[in-house]
Amino acid sequence: MTGWSVIRFLHVTSAALWVGGQLTVSLVVLPLARRMLDGEQRGRVLREIGRRFGLFTGAVFLPVQIGTGVLLAWHKGVTWESLAYPGYGRILAAKFLLFTAVMAAAGLHGWANGRGQAEFARAMAVTSLVGSVGIVLLAAALPPT
Amino acid sequence: MTPTDVRIGPAPQVFSPGPPRRPRASWHSRANAIVVGWLALTVLAVVAQHRLPEPRWLVIHMFLLGAVTNAIVIWSEHFAVALLRVRAERWDLIRLGALNAAVVTVLYGATGGHPGLAAAAAGGVVAAVAWHVSALIRMARHALPSRFGHVIAWYIAAGVALVTGGTLGGLMVSQRVPWAWHERMHAAHAEVNLLGWVGLTVLGTLFTLWPTILRTRVSDWVGVSARWALRLAVPGLALTTGGLLLAVRWAAVAGLAAYAAAVAVALAPLAETVRRRRPHTPAAWVIAAGIGWFEIAILTDVVIVATHPQGEVAEALAPLLPLVILGFVAQILLGALTHLLPVVLGGGPARLKANVALLERGWTVRLAAANLAVPLLALPLPPLVSLAGWGLVLVALGSFVVLAVAALILTRRPSPALTGVVAGCLLTAVAVAVATSGGPEPRATATVGRQTVEVTLADMRIRPGTIQAAPGTRLVLHVVNRDAQHHDLRLATGEHTPLLGPGESATLQLGPLTRDVEGWCTVAGHRAAGMTMRIVLLGDHSAHAHDTGAAMTHNPADLDLTAPMSPGWKPYDATLRPAPGGTEHHVEIHAKETDLQVAPGVRQRMWTFDGTVPGPVLRGKVGDVFTITFVNDGTMGHGIDFHAGALAPDRPMRTIQPGERLTYRFRANRAGAWLYHCSTMPMLQHIANGMYGAVIIDPPGLPRVDREYVLVQGELYLGQPGSAAQVAKLRDGRPDAWMFNGTAAGYDHAPLTARAGERVRIWVVAAGPGSGTAFHIVGAQFDTAYKEGAYLLHRGGTGGAQVLDLAPAQGGYVETVFPEPGYYPFVDHDVLHGEAGAHGMFQVTE
Ligand SMILES: [Cu+2]
Repeated sequence: MTGWSVIRFLHVTSAALWVGGQLTVSLVVLPLARRMLDGEQRGRVLREIGRRFGLFTGAVFLPVQIGTGVLLAWHKGVTWESLAYPGYGRILAAKFLLFTAVMAAAGLHGWANGRGQAEFARAMAVTSLVGSVGIVLLAAALPPT
Repeated sequence: MTPTDVRIGPAPQVFSPGPPRRPRASWHSRANAIVVGWLALTVLAVVAQHRLPEPRWLVIHMFLLGAVTNAIVIWSEHFAVALLRVRAERWDLIRLGALNAAVVTVLYGATGGHPGLAAAAAGGVVAAVAWHVSALIRMARHALPSRFGHVIAWYIAAGVALVTGGTLGGLMVSQRVPWAWHERMHAAHAEVNLLGWVGLTVLGTLFTLWPTILRTRVSDWVGVSARWALRLAVPGLALTTGGLLLAVRWAAVAGLAAYAAAVAVALAPLAETVRRRRPHTPAAWVIAAGIGWFEIAILTDVVIVATHPQGEVAEALAPLLPLVILGFVAQILLGALTHLLPVVLGGGPARLKANVALLERGWTVRLAAANLAVPLLALPLPPLVSLAGWGLVLVALGSFVVLAVAALILTRRPSPALTGVVAGCLLTAVAVAVATSGGPEPRATATVGRQTVEVTLADMRIRPGTIQAAPGTRLVLHVVNRDAQHHDLRLATGEHTPLLGPGESATLQLGPLTRDVEGWCTVAGHRAAGMTMRIVLLGDHSAHAHDTGAAMTHNPADLDLTAPMSPGWKPYDATLRPAPGGTEHHVEIHAKETDLQVAPGVRQRMWTFDGTVPGPVLRGKVGDVFTITFVNDGTMGHGIDFHAGALAPDRPMRTIQPGERLTYRFRANRAGAWLYHCSTMPMLQHIANGMYGAVIIDPPGLPRVDREYVLVQGELYLGQPGSAAQVAKLRDGRPDAWMFNGTAAGYDHAPLTARAGERVRIWVVAAGPGSGTAFHIVGAQFDTAYKEGAYLLHRGGTGGAQVLDLAPAQGGYVETVFPEPGYYPFVDHDVLHGEAGAHGMFQVTE
């Protein structure tokens, strides 16, 4: 148990919270809210969930994820050049690209929600969710230390 | 443009591809989504050019077999239904599904290294199109006579062409066709598919589509023109295909000429239409550009087939592909889709208008990009320019795909959840593709590339000695014996040629490469003599993949003494000039490290005196004084030791460090051919790496001769000077080669010259470090031999000498008169040394 284990722990936990949170909201909370709450109340609850999740993303998830991610990459000896090499570097680069795309989709989701474009917002939410699962897939593919 | 617009004009004379009577719009938008999807895949394949296996084949077939073949099947069926006013068959969707399954399987089978599967799938494509043709025939039979019925005949002829071309393609991907047939079938396959399947369909469609796009009435000549053109085109194509297959050039050319005439006849009514109504829509301009390239392509085609011998036609047609595929086919397809997609997508007048506007967005730029790209890709231009051409293709194709997808999505809105899932999966797929690209382990299924290599057997060598190929490549080795004796080639995988006599050749076809393969000549002793080769998998990081090309780790088997010298190589000048006048000689010699060509094609770093091996040759008379200024320009300590002088070695032979200099002065009191060399320990390494030279002190009364040469024989140890590997060879006394004047077999490539009857004197010094020499000239005898300060033999007697034998560091000279013109090899008659580089030539002329 070293300091690096703690950092890796933070990295994985934060990702699990984010992806798990999205999955829980989409698969459990939203269907229940649609079924059990009516118009006015449902809208408020869903908006509030979205706001909280957005807040969590911006204030906790993103800083933790990026901070610990950069530290771990540095610890692994990843260089800018090595990101292009097949294997560890390239998988990491792909993971980061997908992460950026997912964040962009999540951002678009919030933006579209704010402007009342419900359909586009929903599409972006699902994109972000599926993409997050893709990130987990790539993370699993990274060769162990 | 709205559906009502399309119907403007004298009703019975304008053909409308507009929404058919049945509600088939939904089916059509889905069917066209397939075409757009294949276009998108083609764009991806273009982007991935250099990473996808066999990029050209895949890009071409994704486009032609995916996008274009689907478009042809979908649209010809659609037009047949509309023109003949019959009901569509119910099986069309299943047929389309079968076709696409077959196309996907062909692409997978051919690129994944499953020739049997690919061939079977090609059969599937042929069957699907044959089924489509039979449906067209049934429709034509059951239809009432129609003014445009002749168009169906074009579609049927086109389908028959694909059945022919697809069968040829299937035979080729099956890899069971004899090699001799391959090129012919390739040429026939390309011609019949492009000119028949694509060309006939396009021409048949344009008869009615062109006036529709121009929104004018159909020319009165169309019926006659269409019938006559088809009567010319079909036999023409048949003649071309047969001519190419059977290698009858005049038939192929005559057929193409007939086809060209047919195109001219077919285009006549279209030209007449243009005179009445100029193109004024994007679709019309794009299609007009496509037709223009078609004509250029056909004319070029005739010229290529007429001027190239059979067996080279397919290869010669390669530059034509961009013309046909991009200039003609892609532009016609894009033009047709621009015009037709909004119509079949439907969605009400407003949507239709919006879709038209969407698909026409930026069309001038796309048109310009596509038409600029065609010459850039077709002409033999530098790689950077063709890269720019590919960029333009992407702009033209990619932007259309984006617009078409947008039109498809906007017209038939999918549910947000579905969109999200698709978008997320696509993003993930792209990321996974990036992550797994260029994986460290070679993938056996990575490539279908076919690579033909010319292999030559001669001079106890197989050339090339190393063939590099990507995993999965199917190598075709064309083996030629260019030697005076018999050889063969056997590969470790079992393939072998028969024993080949001088000038004979044979072809070996290998299955997809999965590992490195050794090859050799089976004639007794030839393998051991160096007649070996190796096929090396690219991307294989095993140890031996590294030493190819790197001179540093050469082993003796890699030395090819008969290979050509690298360009720019100059032999060490062996001519010995008379001693300069005077009794005092001042010479400055620099120790330096220099890259030299030490054997044919092999350069390596040498430690030298003055940048050459051997160092400069000094010459004087008995009693002369030499003052040497020795400068160390190297990176380690060196010294110098002149055997020609006698003195206390303490100071002059000391080692000086880089940047230092010393003066070495000696009087040459005795005649002889003396060695000088580096005196720094370990001397073995310093001498072996090139630090030696000769001092010639003429014996008193040395008679003049016609020519004088000096040859300093040394050993060659390949590898990084001073490295453990090289030192190990030095210690074992295992040179990689022997050299005269610093290059193994150098004077085989740059013979010394003489004239018959001239007296030639050859000074020889054995520099070692380990071996002496038994100097001999094949075909000549020595009448004078001077060894180590004494004559063994004087000219004028009846005795002769065959060899001047010298131990390491000894020297002397021999004289001979070449009796007649010819090539006289000179060798160290220690045959081991002689065959391993201590070998050269006298070229004796009249
Ligand atoms: Cu030295």
